[in-house]
Amino acid sequence: MNRLAVSFRKEAIYIFFLAPAILLYFTFFILPSLQTFYYSFTNWSDVNPVDVTFVGFKNFAVLLRDEVYLKGITNTFTYAILYMVFVNVCAIPLAVALNQKLVTRSLLRSIFFLPAVFSVLVIGFLWSFLYSTSDFGLINQIVTGLGFEKINFLGNPKIALYAVVFTQVWQFVGYNMVIYLANLQTIPSDYYEAAKMDGATGLQTFRSITLPLLLPAISFCTVMTMINGLKVFDIVFALTGGGPAHATETIISLMITKGINEGFYGQGSAFGIVFMLLVLLLTTVHLRVIKYLENR
Amino acid sequence: MESKRTISLKLLEIGLLVLAAVFIIPVYYLFVTTFKTSEEALLHPLRVPLNFTLENYTSALESMKYFTALKNNVIISVAGVTIVILFSSMAAYVIARRKRKVYGYIFMFFLTGIMVPYQMGLLPLYKLISSLDLINTLTGVILIEACYSLPLAIFLFRNFIDSVPLELEEAAFIDGCGVFRTYWTITFRLLTPVVATVAILTALATWNNFLTPLLFLHSREKGVLLLELYRNVGEFTIDYARLFPMLFLTILPLMLFYLSMQRFIIEGMTAGSVKG
Repeated sequence: MNRLAVSFRKEAIYIFFLAPAILLYFTFFILPSLQTFYYSFTNWSDVNPVDVTFVGFKNFAVLLRDEVYLKGITNTFTYAILYMVFVNVCAIPLAVALNQKLVTRSLLRSIFFLPAVFSVLVIGFLWSFLYSTSDFGLINQIVTGLGFEKINFLGNPKIALYAVVFTQVWQFVGYNMVIYLANLQTIPSDYYEAAKMDGATGLQTFRSITLPLLLPAISFCTVMTMINGLKVFDIVFALTGGGPAHATETIISLMITKGINEGFYGQGSAFGIVFMLLVLLLTTVHLRVIKYLENR
Repeated sequence: MESKRTISLKLLEIGLLVLAAVFIIPVYYLFVTTFKTSEEALLHPLRVPLNFTLENYTSALESMKYFTALKNNVIISVAGVTIVILFSSMAAYVIARRKRKVYGYIFMFFLTGIMVPYQMGLLPLYKLISSLDLINTLTGVILIEACYSLPLAIFLFRNFIDSVPLELEEAAFIDGCGVFRTYWTITFRLLTPVVATVAILTALATWNNFLTPLLFLHSREKGVLLLELYRNVGEFTIDYARLFPMLFLTILPLMLFYLSMQRFIIEGMTAGSVKG
């Protein structure tokens, strides 16, 4: 007891250092997240705000039978995977190209990075004009100029989600490129000289030197693009609002429309839990794959 | 052989410049359209404006309540950055310097915030903010957004403090300096690079966050730029000559920030990724 008191006094100052951060983090993040768990098992809703009772897994059962919720989950998966693949597949070659001895390298770097600084919402509104089927839609002006039919990018349920992904690949490819570029600069140039002496082709060098040594950046960028892809909301909100016919509805957009606007608090919370589990599951699997590749 | 290499490099460079030009067309289009009338924008979307007009801007400034919104944005970002830097650097200092197991667990506790999406707790958070009477206050938004930026900031600070040598602090302790004074007069001053990184990341995250103000700020006096933009988009979807200046005015502060501190921003936004 006495020893505990002494060690507490010694640690008091450190506890004082930690307290503000813990308090803030607990109040606005941990507490609401834990409450979400609790509410997901209750029938709390706008219609039933007072008489809140425990209903077991009923909310989860409702989710799994509701077409809109399921659509939201598959859309979010499709979106996150497409986003992750395209951003990284475009960013790596771009970074390799910019890693050459170019005169305008820093100019090119600034241009490709620029969109990443802007608010996603603004980018969304801008692209809704670019995609528009009205007379002023820039992309459709080009399409009809080339003699094709107008394409209804955001109104056609078959392509709307891809049109949404495209804007985000455009916005964040430069950001990821810069991360790859920083990683590329840590690769010693001797490796490339040795490969050249052995008569390796460009593609062989890329496959056996560049790609394996880029693994730290690849693991960071793929994990982060995946997580950010799963959290997608602003861009959908600005471009389509979840439509047409729920073709671009995502998990968070549903949590907001169903959970907050329509007042299904219990269901919304259950959806939040499903969301968290999906993110954790996908990230864990992803990290395992990366680890396997690193050990090979 | 050498000249063949330089030629292919030149070709690569030209190719990349063309690609960059196409890549940046949306931003260029946004910029030039702001100076045009609707008719001119429709007929010559990509041409440099001929009847250069600033009228769009004056009406945009007014209908967005631009300077009120800008002021609110600045207050939220400055307060958010200050809170995050103070709280997270102090917490990270203890986590980095004290070797007790419990501090390791506290670190893990903070790291979950990087993986678990905060949007999960939005419903209870809304209830909490109402019960604290913080709905429609900047304070509420500042606290929420500072909280969201804490985990990454603590992670970056801890990694950096790990690499700061102990000797100076030990000398200060021997001279009878307390932990509090040692931290602020010695350690904190050595953290400048990571303070800059965290400040940039937090400033951009709070500035670009749309969901939190959308849910928690209702009156127009408390509006931020993105909210004002959103309100106006609903009204002016047809009259896009009036809308484009609003889009541009919303990103203008970020554009100026980027152009003036480009090197720091690029380094800051990518810091802690490969090294981490």
